[in-house]
Amino acid sequence: MESVTPHYFLFLAFLLFGVGFLGVVIRRNLLIVLMSLELMLNGVNIALVTFSRVGLNLDGSLFVFFIMTVAAAEVAVGLALLVALYKKRQSIFSEDATLLRN
Amino acid sequence: MEAYLPFSQQNLWFEIWPELCLAIGALIVLGVNLFYKADSQTGFSGKLAILFQAGLLVFHLFDYLAWHHTFDRDTFSGMLRQGFQGDVMRSFFLLASLLVSIIGHRYLLKHSLRIGEFHHLTMLATAGLMLLCQSSHFLMLFVALECVALCFYALVAYNRESSKSLEAGIKYLLFGALSSSFLLFGIVLLYGVASNPEIWGASFLGSELRDPLSFDYLGDLIRENSDHLLIRTGIALVIAGIAFKIGAAPFQIWVPDVYHGSPMPITAFLSVSSKAAGFFVLLNLVNGPFAGASDFILPLLGFVATFTIFFGNLAACAQRNLKRMLGLSGVAHAGYLLVAIMASMHFPGDSDRAVWVLFFYMFVYLVASFAVFAVMSLADLEDDNEHEFSDYEGLAKKHPLIGFALVCGIGSLAGIPPFAGFIGKLLLISVALEAGLYFSLGAMIVGVVISIFYYFGWIREIVFHPRPVFNDDEPKHDAWTKLTDISMIKFILIVLTLVSLVFGIWQGPFGDTF
Repeated sequence: MESVTPHYFLFLAFLLFGVGFLGVVIRRNLLIVLMSLELMLNGVNIALVTFSRVGLNLDGSLFVFFIMTVAAAEVAVGLALLVALYKKRQSIFSEDATLLRN
Repeated sequence: MEAYLPFSQQNLWFEIWPELCLAIGALIVLGVNLFYKADSQTGFSGKLAILFQAGLLVFHLFDYLAWHHTFDRDTFSGMLRQGFQGDVMRSFFLLASLLVSIIGHRYLLKHSLRIGEFHHLTMLATAGLMLLCQSSHFLMLFVALECVALCFYALVAYNRESSKSLEAGIKYLLFGALSSSFLLFGIVLLYGVASNPEIWGASFLGSELRDPLSFDYLGDLIRENSDHLLIRTGIALVIAGIAFKIGAAPFQIWVPDVYHGSPMPITAFLSVSSKAAGFFVLLNLVNGPFAGASDFILPLLGFVATFTIFFGNLAACAQRNLKRMLGLSGVAHAGYLLVAIMASMHFPGDSDRAVWVLFFYMFVYLVASFAVFAVMSLADLEDDNEHEFSDYEGLAKKHPLIGFALVCGIGSLAGIPPFAGFIGKLLLISVALEAGLYFSLGAMIVGVVISIFYYFGWIREIVFHPRPVFNDDEPKHDAWTKLTDISMIKFILIVLTLVSLVFGIWQGPFGDTF
């Protein structure tokens, strides 16, 4: 039976990062965009853990905790902003955020 | 165990006392705001924050000029690298945050926004910025960067009653988070290479305490494997993440919108501190860990710098809104500063002439920008985000001091001879010549010539008499009638103008290094 090599995990990490990036670029619902950003960070986390495991070095696994904490804080601020914007404008779609233009 | 010894032998916390003081001061300001009921009328916590930061700035200047002879040292097990350059950067950020607090104090009272949180977040962001530019480990760099970014997200959206401010906050958050994930991915790729025990050089570089995220180890490794694909991708992604923060093209899309929507003191904070932090970090990186890959980085930065200069200047010409115009002219300034970064890569060492030219230019940019933004924060408009050229008609005649300070600030940004901005640009050109960056130099000179067009359009409105008013015109709203409570802003305007003029003639402590 073929064993699961690190390449599988790295491929998954790149895939998650790419899917997340695509979501940020093409989705118009700002909530989904925030979720896609989280997906990108999760891709980063998987790559970090994989590298950490392969290289027998614990710094990567440690880094993951910092990333998770920061991501949680970022989402907290982002959701607060989204709620405030929704109260003002009754929409969280990016095509409605057009007040700032020349 | 060796790494733990310094903790027991010396008091390491003293090495970061300015940051600790700022964080504690931020908490005190918040507490005063919380428990002192009349705070929103008297603005006591704002005054407290200003006094606190002014005192800290004075003490810090004394600390590294007189009391301690600063020498380069690694602290916190290699998390921070402190020294003279780091102290200069710290003073820079303290000065910027003091000015933001002073401009913000009147602005908050006038627009009846909450006081305590503003100063709290400003001080915390500054503490993060100070740690960021001293970090010598990618973990520290990431955490400090995010500490700064989170404060800025909240500050940009500070005016929750205004849809524009909220929209700017959301846009800044999305682009900021996107840029941090790129930066992180770059760090992960570098880590992936560095943590590999099989990589070329791993056996004879710092073998017993291998710390793959520290700048030192990565620097050695990158020098040995500078054409490794993963390393190159990682470097490119890290630089892309930082280019987002400094607003370099092609990552400048957020700049005009966010500058447009955020409250005026925060626009100033973004355009000076946030940008300066990006440059200081980039400087530390290209002179430290990435120095070995300069063959790859130089063409990349050259392309980015040229594109940034042209884009910023041409786009600024087309703007009618002054905040957007200043944002895009800031993009152009970022392009000029990237040329200084490239020049510093050409010179050996990490404390060469180009570094001091970059510091001088940043300082001059701080002085000029804050003069301009302080005057803009005085204007009394219906919508504070919509400053247009016509609002400044005949300002020099109505209020000579304010008009003069504004003209000096704009002149210094444009780089007209009697002002410090001219010397900054001249020094930049001279180091670029010395490093042989002729192409970027040409782009820079063309860019400066284009920039004169939009800066002078503004000066013309301020200095020359207002257009004749006909009876059937609807009366124009005069933004400069209700100038109350401006003694503190007048004081900083006088100081900033004097500094702009004096540094145009005499470069003071910077003069020795050129």
